[in-house]
Amino acid sequence: MGRIKEPLIHITRREDMPVWKGLLIRVAAIVVALCISAAFISAASPRSRGFFDYFGSLFSGAFGTERRIWILLQNTALLLAVAVALVVAFKMKFWNLGGNGQILMGCLACAMCMYYLGGKLPDPVVWLLMLVTGVVAGAIWALIPAIFKAFFNTNESLFTLMMNYIAVCLVAFFIALWYPNGTGAMPPLEDATFPTFGSGQMGRTLPVLLVAVLVTAVIYCYLRFHKHGFEISVVSDSTNTARYAGINVKKVIIRTMILSGALCGLVGVLLVGSVNHMVSTSMDGNMGFTGIMVAWMGNFNPLIMAAVSLFIIFLSRGMAQVCTDFGYTSEALSDTVIGIIYFFFIACEFFIRYKVHINNKKIANIFRPKKKSGGKDPESRTDPPEEESQEVSFERAEDAESISAKQEQCSANGADASEICIDGEGN
Amino acid sequence: MDVFFSNAIEFGVIFLFGCVGEILTEKSGHLNLGIPGIMCVGAAGGCFGAKLCMAGADPNGVLTVLVSVLFAMIFAGALGGIYGFLTVSLRCNQNVTGLACTIFGVGFTSFFLNNIVLTEGVSAKLAQAGRSYFNAHIPGADSLGWFGTIFLQHGVLVYLAIVIAVLAALMLRYTKVGLHLRAVGENPATADAVGINVTRYKYTFILAGAAVAGLGGLCYIMGYMNGIVDATVDQTIQGIGWLSIALVIFTMWKPALAIIGSILFGALYILSSRITGISFVQTKLLELIPYVVTIIVLIATSIAGRRETQPPTSLGLSYFREDR
Repeated sequence: MGRIKEPLIHITRREDMPVWKGLLIRVAAIVVALCISAAFISAASPRSRGFFDYFGSLFSGAFGTERRIWILLQNTALLLAVAVALVVAFKMKFWNLGGNGQILMGCLACAMCMYYLGGKLPDPVVWLLMLVTGVVAGAIWALIPAIFKAFFNTNESLFTLMMNYIAVCLVAFFIALWYPNGTGAMPPLEDATFPTFGSGQMGRTLPVLLVAVLVTAVIYCYLRFHKHGFEISVVSDSTNTARYAGINVKKVIIRTMILSGALCGLVGVLLVGSVNHMVSTSMDGNMGFTGIMVAWMGNFNPLIMAAVSLFIIFLSRGMAQVCTDFGYTSEALSDTVIGIIYFFFIACEFFIRYKVHINNKKIANIFRPKKKSGGKDPESRTDPPEEESQEVSFERAEDAESISAKQEQCSANGADASEICIDGEGN
Repeated sequence: MDVFFSNAIEFGVIFLFGCVGEILTEKSGHLNLGIPGIMCVGAAGGCFGAKLCMAGADPNGVLTVLVSVLFAMIFAGALGGIYGFLTVSLRCNQNVTGLACTIFGVGFTSFFLNNIVLTEGVSAKLAQAGRSYFNAHIPGADSLGWFGTIFLQHGVLVYLAIVIAVLAALMLRYTKVGLHLRAVGENPATADAVGINVTRYKYTFILAGAAVAGLGGLCYIMGYMNGIVDATVDQTIQGIGWLSIALVIFTMWKPALAIIGSILFGALYILSSRITGISFVQTKLLELIPYVVTIIVLIATSIAGRRETQPPTSLGLSYFREDR
């Protein structure tokens, strides 16, 4: 038997992280990510702007005027509603990546009602039809993958993804049909828009805010206290258990997805009826994907999800201002920065779920000058051999904290890890 | 008609790069939903490399192609490395990490292309690189009639894609590395028990898969678009990326089948812009076809449900040695 190779880092599962500590780690990850993006953006900026100007621009972009605050709240409410809609499906471990398509179908159905019926029927009738058709369209877009998932176990994530693109094509088709000038753009419709509460942006925001809060509260109670919510969590844990307990798994999958799609459709109705009064192929604003991140980052808890939505919208609104102030021409900067924050947030989850033990003796050995490379290392030989099976060898990193900070260079780290592992397994 | 087939192959290889990259990744047990983002980043990196080479007064064609390919692979590999670090070492949820990679990659590409690559006068140089270097034909191909048009009149990336797909197929089927890789994807705990280094295999093939997929993005801009970078390039490549992931299921995780499948998808994708004599509105409906076909294929493979058409058993699950 060869020399026992002691790993530098030993990882064990952790169950007992207090809630406040978990929150602290997450906040720390976000702060680190923000600082890194600030440093990067101010360094690469064509104008001479400092590190702290970045945060100033961020806040003024999000909260600068009363109108901006109302837009911030409106987008937050919409994103929260989408995230809540997706949580319903995720609770069942159903990967609904079709939020974009379900929102767009809601938009399209609602816009069709406004286009064909607006001004011909009394407004309240059209409003009702907009609401019903939009919700039903979203529900149908979720129902189709759900049926095939329930009966044939078809891959739901790819199915829902493809439904997104079909929705985009359908919207493009109807816009081309209604306005055949070839620009693919649609002017705002005048008739049958939803009523506003007050004037200006505030009047548009308030109904959206109201609906989002209502939806969140109702879904929270549905998942927490209703029998259906319990059935969803049983199906998510084990379909066999669910079947044994007399739950009709197919029915639960289909029912839950209808609910999820209907709520996405409702967001679409709000987008067209209250906010934009027209439809475009990018109206979903990628909220289906962002909603997944919000749901996951918020750990399916409605209050945290509201906070996360606010943070994401704050970033994307503020980033527009940063772009102007720092002299960048592309709006896509916000997606880049939000992506970096996602990476850090996902990575910090590791430190909440796992404990990292660092072998101090080994680190001491690294800094000690090496005499012989033949493997006569007294420390590693004294270890009892039965510990070998519990060892896990991974990255070479100076300390645990630097792992998350070194994320950008992880491809280099990855190469290191494989080298170390060759040693670890090869003798 | 010859030209249509030729274009279908030219477009299909973009799917082929993405599809083979995703197959390599999935065989190691990792569902990488970041492929669309990785393809975008590859395109950005490739354009950056081409820009560097075209800066001089007398650019070298071979060098430009090589450097672009290298940069595309490095950029895509870097994002693949982030995905690998998060999912292999930190054992994060693969779907969420992949989506984050896509969101980041698409945003980064749009930002990088507009602010860093496309400075004054670069568009023309990129177009020149695309036209004269990436799409340089084999001399004499024009004189061979339809055979020459369909098979020989392509740029270098088309042949590279097919070579990579064939090599990947041979590697998976006939070599020890391929056998070990499949073992890691099916059951990492068992593979670990017989002494296969699971972490090394996962990292190697996530990085390799990302690098190959990144070439797909480069192939779209430099090969198919002749080096013309339009405003919606990131969105287009994202759509291609999602289709590539779906194509993996269509080809039943076999890179050799992926060659045929991707050319078929290429034909479906360009169909709407090649059929003449229909209105603008009708082309919008034709654009639906690739997605509808994908869905039909998804349903058909799931109904058939044979053992050979199933994904690697541990696809999407993180492997933690102490979890047994």
